[in-house]
Amino acid sequence: MSRIALGDRDALRSLYDCVGGKLLAVALRVLHNRDMAEDVLQEVFITIWNQAARHHTELAQPLAWLCVITRNRSIDMLRKNRPEVSLNWHDADGEEHSHDAPDERETPLESLLSSEAGTHLYDCLNALDGAQKQALFLAYFEGLTHSELSARMKRPLGTIKAWVRRSLMRLKVCLDTEA
Amino acid sequence: MNWHQHPDLINQLAAEYALGTLRGLARQRFETMMHKRPDVMHTSIAWQTRLSPLLETLPEVSPHESTWLKISSRLWQRVEAEKAPWWRRLLAPPLAALVLGLMMGAVLPSLWQARNDPEKLTQLPESYVGVLATQTGKPGLIVSSLRQGITVDIKQLAAVSIADGNTLYLWTVDKAGKLSPVGPVPNKKFSSVQLPEPAEKVFFSAVELAVSIEPVGLKPASPSQPFVYRGLCGKLWRTPAT
Repeated sequence: MSRIALGDRDALRSLYDCVGGKLLAVALRVLHNRDMAEDVLQEVFITIWNQAARHHTELAQPLAWLCVITRNRSIDMLRKNRPEVSLNWHDADGEEHSHDAPDERETPLESLLSSEAGTHLYDCLNALDGAQKQALFLAYFEGLTHSELSARMKRPLGTIKAWVRRSLMRLKVCLDTEA
Repeated sequence: MNWHQHPDLINQLAAEYALGTLRGLARQRFETMMHKRPDVMHTSIAWQTRLSPLLETLPEVSPHESTWLKISSRLWQRVEAEKAPWWRRLLAPPLAALVLGLMMGAVLPSLWQARNDPEKLTQLPESYVGVLATQTGKPGLIVSSLRQGITVDIKQLAAVSIADGNTLYLWTVDKAGKLSPVGPVPNKKFSSVQLPEPAEKVFFSAVELAVSIEPVGLKPASPSQPFVYRGLCGKLWRTPAT
């Protein structure tokens, strides 16, 4: 990152080779659309080039920062492109349809289970209530807002906000004390 | 309430930022504060680090080859199809620089007038004044010279970093886009340089001034790097030049 901050183009290419695939996976996880995810990857590397000087001395873990940027850009794009379709609707014949909730077996929770590096986090996540844990995962990986979580999980907005806040704080206590 | 005065609120917002539920203006405000306050940045990083194992489990996906080409093209204009020299594309000034130049062009004469007796308006020194913006469109450099003078005064509003062995180099740009070298310029807040010829001859055809970074001691025929400053060249006199 220091070399990029000094305007070293080769360093940017090296970083791209090193983390581009990971960041694309993050964008794809949120967007579920390859073309949009590639666009986000572009935007992220433009940002890295333009803001490296601002960040290189501040970040002990640039990958974490890059993942946050990628997720935020992906969520922004999702917001811009997500059609305003309600979760439940009736078609012309009066038949009821609904968007399915994502298959939980495909969430990274399963991956975490078998991941040595994630075991500690997994234990702390697993200690959360099932619905609260799901809310965190939907927000983190699907980019859902509080309102969308409320609609998806059929819970009042205030409850969702409280769940998220409480879950995050419980997670912090668990991770910090057991680390 | 100033949330940034309360560690508990900073912690909550940092957590929501890392999770992705902090949106819109709230997210922008948080990011701004994060870059101003090390403690906010520290809290934010701590949260990103806590959650990052979730992302480490995602299997990598190889980007399309075209994605890097688009990135490098956008950053450095490396489009092979482009036939014009790269500096040609830089001649269309960014809107910010144009607006800045126009504003300064409008404001500077007014300021001068305000400080002088109206009867002396015609006695204002006839001058060339260039207001140059940085690459990001911020005020960067004010270049001025008496119309018949041979000294150019330069005030640097935004510094640029220059590697050893290099110097700032001033150029004029005429209305056809042709670049002409003027000479090296010191990289300091205020400086004066002598022109090889009267300003009227050096700047007469200039509609823009631009500054690049060049190796010390060379007189380049064209800039070797993108301009670090660029902006309009104003002619501050009431009668058209003859």
